[in-house]
Amino acid sequence: MALLRNSSRTRRRDTSGNRIWVWFMLPGTLWMAGFLVASLLLVAVLAVGTTDELGNPRFGFDLSAVRALADPAYTEVLARSLGYALLTCLICLLIAYPVAYTIALYGGRYKHALIAAIVVPFFANYLVRMYGWSVVLSDDGPLLRALRAIGLADGGTKILNSSFGVIAGLVYGFVVFMIIPLYAALERLDVSLIEAGRDLYGGPVRTFFFVTLPATRQGAAAGLVLVFLPAMGDFVSAQLMGGPDQIMIGNLIQDKFFQGQNWPLGSALTMLLMLVLLIGMLGYLRRTRKDEAEALR
Amino acid sequence: MTLVSTPTATAPARESARTAKRRRGRRRPRVLIAITTLFFALLYLPIAVVALFSFNSQKSLTVFDGFSLRWYRAFAHDDVLIASLGTSLRISLVAMAGSVLLGVALALGLVRCRTRLGSLAGLIMLVPLITPEIVTGVASMLLFKGLGIPLSTFTVMLAEITFSISYVTVVLRSRVAALNPEVEEAAMDLGATRWQAVRLVTLPALLPAALASAVLIFALVFDDFVLAYFTTGVDPQPLSVRIYSAIRFGVQPTINAVGTLMLAGSIALIALALFIPRLFGRRGGLDLLSGE
Amino acid sequence: MDATPAVRLDGVSKQYADSYAVHHLDLDIESGHFFSLLGPSGCGKTTTLRMIGGFSDPTEGSVLLAGEDVTDLPPNKRNVNTVFQSYALFDHLGVADNVGFGLKRKGVPKTEIRKRVGEMLDLVQLGAFADRKPRTLSGGQRQRVALARALVNRPAVLLLDEPLAALDLKLRRQMQVELKQIQREVGVTFVFVTHDQDEALTMSDRIAVMHAGRVEQCGTPEDIYEHPSTGFVASFMGTSNLMTGTYRDGKVSLEKGPDLPVGTRTGISDGTAVSVSVRPEKVWLSDFEPGMAKLSGVIRETVYSGPTTTYLIELAPGVTLSVLEQNTARARMEDRWSGGETVEFAWRPEHCLVLA
Repeated sequence: MALLRNSSRTRRRDTSGNRIWVWFMLPGTLWMAGFLVASLLLVAVLAVGTTDELGNPRFGFDLSAVRALADPAYTEVLARSLGYALLTCLICLLIAYPVAYTIALYGGRYKHALIAAIVVPFFANYLVRMYGWSVVLSDDGPLLRALRAIGLADGGTKILNSSFGVIAGLVYGFVVFMIIPLYAALERLDVSLIEAGRDLYGGPVRTFFFVTLPATRQGAAAGLVLVFLPAMGDFVSAQLMGGPDQIMIGNLIQDKFFQGQNWPLGSALTMLLMLVLLIGMLGYLRRTRKDEAEALR
Repeated sequence: MTLVSTPTATAPARESARTAKRRRGRRRPRVLIAITTLFFALLYLPIAVVALFSFNSQKSLTVFDGFSLRWYRAFAHDDVLIASLGTSLRISLVAMAGSVLLGVALALGLVRCRTRLGSLAGLIMLVPLITPEIVTGVASMLLFKGLGIPLSTFTVMLAEITFSISYVTVVLRSRVAALNPEVEEAAMDLGATRWQAVRLVTLPALLPAALASAVLIFALVFDDFVLAYFTTGVDPQPLSVRIYSAIRFGVQPTINAVGTLMLAGSIALIALALFIPRLFGRRGGLDLLSGE
Repeated sequence: MDATPAVRLDGVSKQYADSYAVHHLDLDIESGHFFSLLGPSGCGKTTTLRMIGGFSDPTEGSVLLAGEDVTDLPPNKRNVNTVFQSYALFDHLGVADNVGFGLKRKGVPKTEIRKRVGEMLDLVQLGAFADRKPRTLSGGQRQRVALARALVNRPAVLLLDEPLAALDLKLRRQMQVELKQIQREVGVTFVFVTHDQDEALTMSDRIAVMHAGRVEQCGTPEDIYEHPSTGFVASFMGTSNLMTGTYRDGKVSLEKGPDLPVGTRTGISDGTAVSVSVRPEKVWLSDFEPGMAKLSGVIRETVYSGPTTTYLIELAPGVTLSVLEQNTARARMEDRWSGGETVEFAWRPEHCLVLA
């Protein structure tokens, strides 16, 4: 058996004569290395750089920008961004799960069309969508008017310029990234598994918690990461839906590069953002590794 | 009369049908359907609002006064916005061509070349997918400034290509992996050189996926504003950057018209991209968007 | 017969990391022959074929086609063509373009391509399908397209990698006959890889049985079946009753059982432990001939399968023989033996082979 497996694996290799494929790979790799890797390294380098009198960046080794991150003004923004992003993840999960579940299990022959009806507009112009959403959430917008009409809101209720508004924006912006992996996981889920669950556990609620949820845990984990990454780096939602008290780390970065012209500080903030995201990614990878190891056992 | 003459026979049948239905758990889940309906309503509401008010005869964003095309006319006569549209189209075309060319080649190389260089390239390629756009934007801007390249339409093109290569590669990579390597060998067996085998057999097999991702890249780049915002110069800025400025600093209703056109355009393109694989007799491609 | 073999493998090995897929193979394949490489999966037969085709470089030894060393030539420079197991058709091209692919590469004029493709499609009975896309064809039809695509180039040698493996049994039988007919018609040397011994026996002029990277035995189908030289060949080719015992005075005595009459075999001294093989259909249950030494055993199992009945007969403790009988012998069902009965049986000594 070892011989067989070995031969069939290596067999493909020897006619392909690696050399030609290296040539295929080279332009793209060089491009990515030149533009992407180099540029990210540059951000790291500039984070420990300085500025001259005119505010132009200078290379060097100066930790003032990095030290500045400890300023409570910045840590507060970071904490707020984290809080917003995590809440966004949670709300997206709560919304996406029933929607994905309904489409995957009850969509019948329309399920592909339904999921396309969600995905297609979501990939269309983010900015215009967010702008439309801010109009919907505005004080005179259709949502608040409807809520006022049924008595769920009064004249003083506002959504915009609040944390709630920013989170609503983030959710609207990125909920699709939760729906896609959840839908994929639920569609893969064998319906007979749920039926077997009904037999074993009885009620649909118990079945859901003992059968459906564990089987889609990986989809949910992927969705959480996919939502967390862009939510953490977003600056549009806070700009359109929030006020001065709702700024996120993305707004700070934007400000340091465009208005404040403090590039080392902007770079340091960017690195800080990457660090947070990296920790999130590593957590996710460890989690899935563990899941895989358990599945193998 | 004969229809109702045997109630004793139908009653048990109905009974068993009902238990069967209950056993299969196929009762209509009213709560779930209500949530899903509400979700769809909220999903389309902002789009509908933008579209609706783009036809408003008045400036108001809250009161619809009557149907008019005045904002579309205003857009058509706005030289600055039209110039921006041209810039956006040029950027999208170049980014599409560049990233598909580099991405398809990279995908082929990554799947076929199992060396250490290959796995390193595979890792690099994933970086943009896990990096928020603001980081890529900041990094690209710093790079261009560092290299002394003045920010312009050209730098936007470079940045957009960089970001799009990953996308094309991820989509194409799974297609390449699904190809039967014997097909290329068959071409060589029939007298083709290695390069001819790739050109005559492998690339045509990848054509549907490449076309679909090209259309999609065009739409995504046309819509993108974060990267463009950080890397654009002052020569006619891309349309999305203009819209961003307009939205931030007081809305002119013209933006509703532009936004509606952009939404309609990208929805049409994305739908087209999903439909392309079917034209070639393959299953449709939602996986294009999820990258799975 | 051409004196130069169409294919010669000279000490060819293929080594992966620490194991040999093919180990020091010497093989001559005569021109015009239908030659089969037969063996279980992983025996190295496909690797051997790929080395002939140029898809895999031998780590040692050389490959000669019509006397010319082609070891370092790529596939497109070798006058051989391959029918792949997956058929490997070009899905974006029509059937005619698939078949014409090789000729076009060679720069054959268009009119001639059309003519030869047409002839070839007629030969494989696909004349009406020239404009179809391969995807719309059935498995058998796709297989024929693959065959036509290879043969139209008039290769000196056609390599076939389990081309019938994906077809269902009935179609497979039909294609076996057709393939053999086509081979006779075009006179091209076929090198055919298969793991199906029936297929190899019915189609081949010669068979090489491979096992663990080596050729166990090479010969005509009759040779291989009637005179297997190793236990592996005997058991791989059809069913064999393999027993072990000690060679003494032209007989083989079982440890706890009778002496078995065996065929003459030189070069074995008395007292050597040997294995012997006798085919189920070579065992007689009645109408014994003079010169047969009769043995007896107990029927343990009777398996009826239409034209034949198989009896499992216990000859000695732990030694059970499978015996096949045509159902002409005992016309009525009730005449057949049932479990527990003691029966007499015998074989011609030359049918019980002493294996190396």
